[in-house]
Amino acid sequence: MADHTTRMTRIVDHLRANWQIYVLLAPTIIWFLVFLYRPMYGLQIAFKDYSVFRGIEGSPWIGFEHFHTLFGSDQFIRALKNTVIISMLTLVFGFPMPIILALMFNEVLNQTYKKTVQTVVYLPHFISTVIISGIVITAFSPSSGVVNTVLDWLGFDKIYFLTKPEWFRPIFIGSGIWQEAGFSSIVFLAAIAGVNPSLYESAVVDGASRWQMMWKITIPSIMPTIIIMLIIRIGNLLEVGFELIILLYQPATYQTADVVNTYIYRQGLQVGQYDLAAAAGLFNAVVAFVLVMTANTISKRYSRTSLW
Amino acid sequence: MRKMKLASAILMTTAIAPVAHADGHLQIVDEPLELTIHMHWPRAQGYNEEYPVELAAREMTGIHLLDATSGKNTTDHNEAINLLLATGDLPDIVGGHRIKDAVNQYGPEGAFVPLNDLIEEHAPHIKAFFDERPDIAQAISSWDGNMYYIPYLPDGKFGRAYFIRQDWLDTLGLEQPQDVNELYDVLVAFRDNDPNGNGLKDEIPIFQRQWEELIRYVTLWDGRSSGSDTYHDFMVVDGQLQHPYATEGYRDGMAHLAKWYAEGLIDPEIFTRGSSSRDYLLSENLGGMTHDWFASTSGYNASLEGTVEGFNFVPYLPPASISGVRMEEHRRIPFKPDGWAISHTNENVVETIKYFDFFFTEEGRLLSNFGVEGDTWNMIDGEPVFTDEVLNGGIAVNTQMYEVGAQIQRGYWQDYRYEWQWTAEAAREGIELYDANDLLIDQFLGVAFNEDEQRIYDRNWTQIQTYMLERQQAWILGTGDIEADWDDYVAQLDRMGYNDVIAVMQAAYTRQYGN
Repeated sequence: MADHTTRMTRIVDHLRANWQIYVLLAPTIIWFLVFLYRPMYGLQIAFKDYSVFRGIEGSPWIGFEHFHTLFGSDQFIRALKNTVIISMLTLVFGFPMPIILALMFNEVLNQTYKKTVQTVVYLPHFISTVIISGIVITAFSPSSGVVNTVLDWLGFDKIYFLTKPEWFRPIFIGSGIWQEAGFSSIVFLAAIAGVNPSLYESAVVDGASRWQMMWKITIPSIMPTIIIMLIIRIGNLLEVGFELIILLYQPATYQTADVVNTYIYRQGLQVGQYDLAAAAGLFNAVVAFVLVMTANTISKRYSRTSLW
Repeated sequence: MRKMKLASAILMTTAIAPVAHADGHLQIVDEPLELTIHMHWPRAQGYNEEYPVELAAREMTGIHLLDATSGKNTTDHNEAINLLLATGDLPDIVGGHRIKDAVNQYGPEGAFVPLNDLIEEHAPHIKAFFDERPDIAQAISSWDGNMYYIPYLPDGKFGRAYFIRQDWLDTLGLEQPQDVNELYDVLVAFRDNDPNGNGLKDEIPIFQRQWEELIRYVTLWDGRSSGSDTYHDFMVVDGQLQHPYATEGYRDGMAHLAKWYAEGLIDPEIFTRGSSSRDYLLSENLGGMTHDWFASTSGYNASLEGTVEGFNFVPYLPPASISGVRMEEHRRIPFKPDGWAISHTNENVVETIKYFDFFFTEEGRLLSNFGVEGDTWNMIDGEPVFTDEVLNGGIAVNTQMYEVGAQIQRGYWQDYRYEWQWTAEAAREGIELYDANDLLIDQFLGVAFNEDEQRIYDRNWTQIQTYMLERQQAWILGTGDIEADWDDYVAQLDRMGYNDVIAVMQAAYTRQYGN
């Protein structure tokens, strides 16, 4: 009993001393409760025959029927497959790009040149997806697009890229890298800036080349940041940026372009099957959770770096 | 600021206008009654309580509508109505764009009031309309046999037409093509003989703003692309529901369209050029023919006069198909899924249906079509005629009507005289030409599903349609050969539940329209 009281007093004292910090924390916690935890209540419609008018409580339970529907559908399976393929390709080609960019920026000596190039590669991040899709459609247009004009000069046949299933993924992933690589490099640049300069100084004294310094000092020093970013990316693996896909795909390219989120959009939201869409979304979330747990565990075991 | 001034000016004039219908024969209530309304439609998300039309209707009927629209921050009407229903707090009247499916689904669950008895007892003008058009009454009813909304009823028959560059035909010494074979020859000539005279082979014989319109051309080989004014819709043949994309006419038509595409007679960028293609290809003097709306397409003759030498884009009769049938597949649907409904929370149901009926009276119809008499139009020789300011105001007449609260998507009966007055001469001639020939076909007006049917339809149909469209584009683009693939395609449709969908459609159709 006495023990309990002292603990209480300790907590009260602690709160009294640090209340400003808790006040600062409050908006974030409230945000999480209102926008992330409260809506989870609605997840139950994945197991219900949901009617908007009857409401969440009023709709009858139907168990796993929506999941049966999903896994009985070739198109859902295909969308799942496409999601995994597009994500993996994005990870393989997209993840190293910002790191390479950051390392390159770090080696540039002329400050004006460095700042200019940095600004130029950051810019696409701030352009809205709709405009990006407009740029992509125009650039790959068979009659007036810059890509086909170049192909034509070089003597190749013009290609109607956006209707060819085999071209969809390269175009999508490429435009993603173009848009985000620059901005994502900021995190790595910050990490590089945090490397202790005395390491480089002693390396110079020992006669190390710039190349050696990069491999032996810079990369190992920013490795924890790289690992954390990688874990976060793996957790978002199924969250393909579907806005751009919706703007770029055609029935002709569904074969390679249709991902879980676009499937949810067409099958669930456009025709108002919210219950089915919730089931697909829930499945997505469970897979993402498993992925992030796995990545974290592996990383903890082998590199001692982890999110928690 | 300008808008504010305009609004207050309108307010002032209405406030000081003499009481037009002082005799009060349209009064519904003795004491002013306020009703709340949800009105969500593409042009405006909400109901403007100061619309001159609203002010006039208020004066004539005594009923005030107060705006209570959900989802004003989205332009997606579906989302708005779902949001409204999910809040559970329904205003007295639910109106706007595409409410039919929602009211027919949730009406039987108790969200909306069935209107049949109310119309019978309290709405003589609406009743008179449905007595004339029992087919529309059937078509808007839900699966339980009740009507849950009063639709917006468009007037006028024709929507889209075939247009061709008459000046190109003249340059090449050709006549308007009368059948599909002549059409092919004309298109080849457009492609090869440089009708725009720039020395380049850059002409695009067929272009479309919506790629779905290209599929419409299968009617030239006796196929069909849709049974209604919605793309990819079902159709009824001898009382049997079918989907056009599962018929052999479609197969043959698509095989020819694929050939035309491969030969360069169709815009190579048909799937991605999108809505600006008509503007671009006409003003650059590249496009040869299209299938598009009468009114807006005729407008190019005026807007491109002087820009493109000799430009003359004219509507012409649909070329006869291989079996000699001239068909214009697209027509205006006689009723829209837009309109208004009475929600279960409404405590003044009788007054509300009387208010709905008001818009079917002579005065109400004129008001909902043309705006307030004396402001936007005058009665001249028994005809409502827009004022010069409206007709030559530099702003499209329909936009002006939306501003004053006329032609908005309440349940009203459109009067074609409204549109005819500002239709370009070329389009009027085209419409008269189309009218003189027997071109139109019966439409499939849709069915209302009960819950079980709805489930089967939802589960299967979206996927089947996705598959159909994937194959459709592949065949046009030449990555598949429709004649070789056809048996597999039909088998795949069966596997995906095509017959189940047709069965529920047929059941719903029989229930709704009889045999």
